[in-house]
Amino acid sequence: MSLLEGRALVHVYPGNVHALDRLDLRIERGRRLVILGPNGAGKTTLMLHLNGTLRPQAGEVRLDGQLMGYDTASLTAWRRRVGLVLQNADDQLFAAAVAEDVSFGPLNLGLDESETRRRVADALAAMHISHLAERATHMLSGGQKKRVAIAGLVAMQPEILLLDEPTAGLDHEGTEDLLAVLEELERSGTTLVFSTHDAELAYRFADEVALFEGGKILAQGPIAATLSDADLVKRAKLDTPFLLRLGLRARELGILGADEPLPRSAASALRLLDLVGGQSTL
Amino acid sequence: MSHIDTSAYLNRWRKKSLAEKSLLAFGMLLIAVSVSSWQAALLVAALMIGATLFGAGVAFPLWWKTMTVPIGFLFAGVFTLIFQVQLWHIGIAPHGLELAGRVGARAFAGLTCLLFLALTTPAADLAAGMRRIGVPAEIAEMMLLMYRFVFLLTDTAETMNAAQAARLGHITYRRHMKSLSLLIANLMPRALARAHALEIGLAARGWRGELRVLSPVRRASATGLGVILALEVLVLLFGLYTS
Repeated sequence: MSLLEGRALVHVYPGNVHALDRLDLRIERGRRLVILGPNGAGKTTLMLHLNGTLRPQAGEVRLDGQLMGYDTASLTAWRRRVGLVLQNADDQLFAAAVAEDVSFGPLNLGLDESETRRRVADALAAMHISHLAERATHMLSGGQKKRVAIAGLVAMQPEILLLDEPTAGLDHEGTEDLLAVLEELERSGTTLVFSTHDAELAYRFADEVALFEGGKILAQGPIAATLSDADLVKRAKLDTPFLLRLGLRARELGILGADEPLPRSAASALRLLDLVGGQSTL
Repeated sequence: MSHIDTSAYLNRWRKKSLAEKSLLAFGMLLIAVSVSSWQAALLVAALMIGATLFGAGVAFPLWWKTMTVPIGFLFAGVFTLIFQVQLWHIGIAPHGLELAGRVGARAFAGLTCLLFLALTTPAADLAAGMRRIGVPAEIAEMMLLMYRFVFLLTDTAETMNAAQAARLGHITYRRHMKSLSLLIANLMPRALARAHALEIGLAARGWRGELRVLSPVRRASATGLGVILALEVLVLLFGLYTS
């Protein structure tokens, strides 16, 4: 049974725009899933359905196999377990200081003051921003705002954290730092789901991919196998990640055995090259 | 606007209790405007400038930059007190200079008090304080949200302004006015879209109509309040003695 599941979701915007067209998606506990698709495919719309912000015009969302409702009690329970980080951090931060803002979610969960303080401290530490606790929200950089926005949800300790284009607007270092803290978060038991249009990033970071285009999930499965299907990738208006191409070619040439893992980082790809260099000097 | 805010967050007295800071500012303000002695007004001004620059460590250039505009208004207002207009001529009013000096000194002292509070205390702290003394939560929340949105909207307006300038939108006075009207018209739907997005963002964090956050409590110390009160009594006595 999937942890969170969308079944035959339909959402049509005015003007007959089919953002979701009988879409199916499964999120498994502990599997890092990336929702990969071009800009304008409707990734944000899908995300908003997964935490109950938008209600599908047809279809259903199930959490732990349970059909989710849209009354206040159900939505409260839903959002307690499924956190959503919006693409624009400014849409999520409202309080004047960082620690105050992070305390908002735990207080909404009905936690008392001491527990809230503990959660805030833990969340700030998890995102490596304890030193920003007293700072004014509007004086932070883009990357810092992003982390505060994520900390605001981490403090609610959701089982699933949905991140809409988390690396948008971040520079190289900001992206690497963010991915590193997300990995730490995952080790503490949070299931990560993020959306992106960047196939390279997706290939490096995710276990599983859902290819999203034209309102449908074209395919969902282990990332290397799914993205190896060139035809499928093309239909999703994407390009096969360079690292994956390199790895597949290395297998073709016999440099890499069929059961050896494909390189997932620049460093491991370079080691592959060292291997070839070593052979040619023999 | 923005440099006042920066100072409010980064000054040395940021973490002093709101009660102490507002007792100092409003107490001194009350003395400055209610006691007619100009010597007392100057004493208040000196103390408050000292508190702002040496106590809270606000840089003088920043203090002066914030002060120039109100001082301009003050000067213009006081200047007219010197003269009197009679039927056929304008002349120096009897006691005009003295009156201008008194009013000017007291108004200046009042300014230093308010500036002290503005430069050492973030608007958000003031809103939280108002909530504690019984201002309805809705009003305090509105203040907080407006405060947050002022910065988002000024950022947007600045970006749009730069974009218009880059396309020669300010080349003549007429174009400039036209561009300005477009900018203002565009800010409205943007503000609404922002508000809608914020609503989604807050809902994702379990918002149910109340913006509750844990503000750090900064307890006022009895000694602190005592020292401030004693100082104010001394200034008041000095004022009564000299008036």
